[in-house]
Amino acid sequence: MAEQLFYFLIYPGLLFAAVIGALLSWYDRKVTAWVQFRKGPPVLQPFYDFFKLLLVKETILPKHGSKGVFLSAPIFAVFGAAIAGVFILLPLLGIETGFKGDIIVIFYLLTIPSLTYIIGALASGNPLAAIGGSREMKLILSYELTFLLVLAGIIQKAGMTISFSEIISIQSLNGAFAGSISGVILFIVFVFCIQAKLALVPFDAPEAETEIADGIMIEYSGTPYAMIKLAKYIMFFILPAFLIGLLWKGLNFEGINILWSILKILFVVLLLTLIRNTNPRVKIKQAIRYFLVWMNLLAIIAIVLSYFGL
Amino acid sequence: MNELLYIIIIPVIIGSALFLIPGKFNILKGILAIFTSILCLVYSVLIFTGKQFAFTPYTALDRLNSEFLRSINFDLIKYSAFNIDSLNQLILLFVAIFAFLILLYSIVYISKEKKINNYYEYFLLTLGCSFGAVASDNLLLFLIFWGILGLTLYKLIKAHNDESSAAAKKTLIIVGASDGIMILGIAILWKITGTLNMSDINVDTNNALTILAFFTLLIGAFTKAGAFPFHSWIPDYTKNAPASSSAFLPASLDKLLGIYFLARICNNLFVLNDWLRVVILSLGVITIITAVLMALVQHDYKKLLGFHAVSQVGYMVVGFGLGTMLGIAAGLFHMVNHALYKSGLLLSAGCVEHRTGKNNIEEVGGLSKVMPITFIAALVFALSISGIPPLNGFASKWMIYQGIIDFGAGSGIANNLWIVWLALAVLGSALTLASFIKFIGGIFLGRKKEEFKAIKEVSVLMWLPLVILALFCVGFGVFASGYIVPKLFYPIAGNFSFVGIWQSEMVSLLILVSIILGLIIYFIGNIKNYRTADSFVGGGEKMIEKGNYNAVEFYKTISDFKLLNDIYKKAEEKWFDIYDLTKRFVLWCSHSFSNAHNGILSNYTIWIFAGLIIMLLIMI
Repeated sequence: MAEQLFYFLIYPGLLFAAVIGALLSWYDRKVTAWVQFRKGPPVLQPFYDFFKLLLVKETILPKHGSKGVFLSAPIFAVFGAAIAGVFILLPLLGIETGFKGDIIVIFYLLTIPSLTYIIGALASGNPLAAIGGSREMKLILSYELTFLLVLAGIIQKAGMTISFSEIISIQSLNGAFAGSISGVILFIVFVFCIQAKLALVPFDAPEAETEIADGIMIEYSGTPYAMIKLAKYIMFFILPAFLIGLLWKGLNFEGINILWSILKILFVVLLLTLIRNTNPRVKIKQAIRYFLVWMNLLAIIAIVLSYFGL
Repeated sequence: MNELLYIIIIPVIIGSALFLIPGKFNILKGILAIFTSILCLVYSVLIFTGKQFAFTPYTALDRLNSEFLRSINFDLIKYSAFNIDSLNQLILLFVAIFAFLILLYSIVYISKEKKINNYYEYFLLTLGCSFGAVASDNLLLFLIFWGILGLTLYKLIKAHNDESSAAAKKTLIIVGASDGIMILGIAILWKITGTLNMSDINVDTNNALTILAFFTLLIGAFTKAGAFPFHSWIPDYTKNAPASSSAFLPASLDKLLGIYFLARICNNLFVLNDWLRVVILSLGVITIITAVLMALVQHDYKKLLGFHAVSQVGYMVVGFGLGTMLGIAAGLFHMVNHALYKSGLLLSAGCVEHRTGKNNIEEVGGLSKVMPITFIAALVFALSISGIPPLNGFASKWMIYQGIIDFGAGSGIANNLWIVWLALAVLGSALTLASFIKFIGGIFLGRKKEEFKAIKEVSVLMWLPLVILALFCVGFGVFASGYIVPKLFYPIAGNFSFVGIWQSEMVSLLILVSIILGLIIYFIGNIKNYRTADSFVGGGEKMIEKGNYNAVEFYKTISDFKLLNDIYKKAEEKWFDIYDLTKRFVLWCSHSFSNAHNGILSNYTIWIFAGLIIMLLIMI
């Protein structure tokens, strides 16, 4: 029990994932700054943000909303992100003992943060938040099928196993899935799914600062917003890690491989950052069509290709 | 063993006796009904924990099996075979549990609704006949109980409001027609095998006759459970009938019975071939997707729940279509879970309707503060049905997905299409989540309307069943892989092993840990000096008053897509409703025949002579 708690709360769960995620978010902001010819924040800026929200900033609660639901939503967001993080990171970091989950379970756990954002937004009673919530839900609807198709393609490649650690070990024996044509296509589709899951530009319609003033997050401030930040940091690390585990052999921490592992993660995050910096926001309808038609088509092509062993 | 006899006869007798009590003493009837259901619950527990047996009530029937019956060569005993195996032990138990909880709810709920006559009488008759249908081994006996259930179903909708008569008629016609088709199937089975006892029948589906028999019985099971394309009575039923009756019949009892019969025909009576699997799996996923798409655009929250009662059947059908041990166990587990959360949802919808008197999502809103218990229970049910871990809906859906992946490893046409089944099942789950966000957001969250300021929580008799059902949902989810599935479903499906890993107990424990952690974070955080303020939407004070975002508009973007828009329009014109299609066809036929009646005598004479000549030709 104490072991499980350690896994969940400290390493590789909540604390570890949040710290790495915060560092990655600094990296994201720094790259963004370079793209925009700015200097960018210092390394510890994400931590300053978090602790300022947690300890200093005033918390404003919505007058007409349901405050209990509004305040408990962030707790469940952190839980969802952390538990998905544990299930993803334990096999990825090569820890054999402890508790496990298959990729269907991870798939479901990864939707919990978005769901809690929606419920919290609706509980705030703010119409802009409700618009954001409705968009987030539509975004979930559109990428969920694509995400599952990618997972199905990977399950097929791995010979019908849904265990994450087995998928990683199959790749370390036979080479990364991303080495084949279908693997590359799945990789690309997966990157766009992550983009939508993290609500980054071009799929940031639920938050859309310039249009609906941060949409689902509009009413959050102070401590509850700090918790949401925490969940977002974790998600920012575990989703790229999940991608690397599923398609790119996972991580390895022996000798020089440490460098490669770190570079892999930095590369995936770089992709996300560059996509978000070079694209305008799409309307929610466009986003739905983008996933429903094009991304699904790509995923199906990849599945068919992998069926023929390509 | 006599428990089995009592459990069928006692509700029927007491139900018939209640007709003698005048309608004024409705409370008395309710209390009597509750005592009966408690008795049934006790018996069903005895049956559940007892041995499995085949049973023919010899001693009771010997007296009935009189000289008269013998003289006309009718052996009563032959037709009254009961059989108790692990499958119907489970179903009997859950029928009794639901009957008890819903009767508890009805005491307060029904007495308010003055227009309902003979509610408890038909309730108890339904209960007794359901026990009979589940326990009987002889197909004819089964059919008799099944037929009476169609009638009581009709009586439990009626006289609630003006539209209910139409809904009741529709239900009676669809269910009655399916019963008629089932008789055909049973006749074919009797012709092929020469026996009517389910435990003796096991037919290969390799020729046209057996496939026909399979489909006729499948129609019976599908209509009862409400799978596509025989689902259309369920949304109308839940919309118009009293909520407690919807929670009892389409949500829990008819699912249990329909899926029970589906399990019997898929596993015991027939051996399915590959193409039949493809057909069943396709019907399953079509049911999931079409019904949930319809649910997404509903405004009436009870009708929305009705469409979900259809959609969830698809998962069970998929489970049985797989035919593997994992699939069957998953289908049964989903059936139980569905009955738990769907009856809970309909009961909470009943609470909202009871307190507000409104039926549309846009007319209510922000009720979470005034009806906290109903809200939390409804939230648990909504998250369960959407498959959010660690609740029970997730556990059974996860088993179904595993079943599909496990099934995909085999070879065969249905096996090779595993990605289609999996993708559509998961998409259905996401769409379910979306429409329940609308349900919860529209009814309980958001801004409270002025007119609902004075509303109070429903009385304890109404929320207690909700709380019990919610606890069941949580418990079945938390202890799913460790306790519930091995205990309840291994005896039925066999000892299968899971493909995936899901440690529900551990994860649930971690939820508790995170809630405590969250509270600690709030405690050390700066939340103590909070203030409340009205929400800011820009544009000054007036924007707030007007700017209420309607939950009904939630998924307008989706229905705006051209293809979907066309489908929705067609659905509104009832093009996918088998009842209306048949009605149209019949009306068209009668219209074209009526052209012959033009009132000219010479034409009539020609018709008569023409008919006469044809008859003579046939006879010669």
